[in-house]
Amino acid sequence: MKYHSIIVEDLPVAAEFLKKFCEKSGMIEVDQHFLNAEDALRFLNDNVVELIFLDVEMPGASGFDLLDQLIYNPQVILTTSKTEYAYDAFQYNVTDYLKKPFTYQRFLEAIQKVSKKSEQLNGNSDQNHMFIKSDGKLIRLSNEDILYIESMGDYVKFVTPAKKYITHNTIKNLETKVNPQVFMKVHRSYIVNYTKIDDIQENVLFIKGNMIPISKAHKSGVMQKINIL
Amino acid sequence: MSKGDPQILFSFSPELDTDFLRELYVDDFRQAELVFESSLQQLRSEFSLARARFHDGDITGLKKVIHKVKPIFGYVGMNKVQEEYKDFEESCVNARSAADIESGFGLIIGITEQAIQKMETELKRLKQYNTQFL
Repeated sequence: MKYHSIIVEDLPVAAEFLKKFCEKSGMIEVDQHFLNAEDALRFLNDNVVELIFLDVEMPGASGFDLLDQLIYNPQVILTTSKTEYAYDAFQYNVTDYLKKPFTYQRFLEAIQKVSKKSEQLNGNSDQNHMFIKSDGKLIRLSNEDILYIESMGDYVKFVTPAKKYITHNTIKNLETKVNPQVFMKVHRSYIVNYTKIDDIQENVLFIKGNMIPISKAHKSGVMQKINIL
Repeated sequence: MSKGDPQILFSFSPELDTDFLRELYVDDFRQAELVFESSLQQLRSEFSLARARFHDGDITGLKKVIHKVKPIFGYVGMNKVQEEYKDFEESCVNARSAADIESGFGLIIGITEQAIQKMETELKRLKQYNTQFL
């Protein structure tokens, strides 16, 4: 299996080097190379890739700005010449962090992590439920029951028709764990079950009378996901 | 030794970080040649931009160029130069005017010119080796 990927890197020599490694591995197909985050984001709004090789400091928007605006969650390998971003990398749940320049051996280790994570995600994709820790117990919630998930700082609120559950977690962390066939991020503070959307007006959507904002960055993703006749 | 029989392996110049370069390129000297060539082109072009930013007193712009150029030295086995660039990048962060970084930039110019010369020499050696043996 080959992973479809893009490279977002403003230094051509680094991108060429990486392309060569991808080719050599036989596991990575590089669909495009972008010199900045803005062009990459435009591509990602219309195309699906499984992996992004992402530089952090680039002219204009940074690699982290791009991750903030992504409407789905491909795996990410950060490629940077600074080690100072390790904490942010952890926060963004990236698959690996490569300090430029890196050897082929180190590149292969990163690809193995991608492969392993991909297997885990595919293994979970059939799940139609999740367990959350709330009120001191593990509660099983069916995807079908969840209307949306709202950020509350270090906590999130799972809203179902019958009850609201508050648990210690973040939207950023949940983004990679919820089933993308059912859930989508529409705002930095909201993940919604898009099968539950009743209507959309401008930059707001409604689910069972609850008004949920859609951020500018996520609007096109939402419109693509819903079935407009 | 005839062409197509590369039993004599290329040895990077000792003033470069040879251990790292061997690890980076293994025995792919064609790639090494391409990377050295591309690195030289980019360094020349970006460094003239760095000079322009400095002369305009655009420290933020200069810092961005320095940050972009910095990893190039890693690909050609000049890790010490990369460290000098890193230090200078930090100086740019703390600088309030171009005068604060004038001597630092003077040092960077000297280091970069030397680095370009070394890269040119190494590229010439790589080209000769690849033409002769590969």
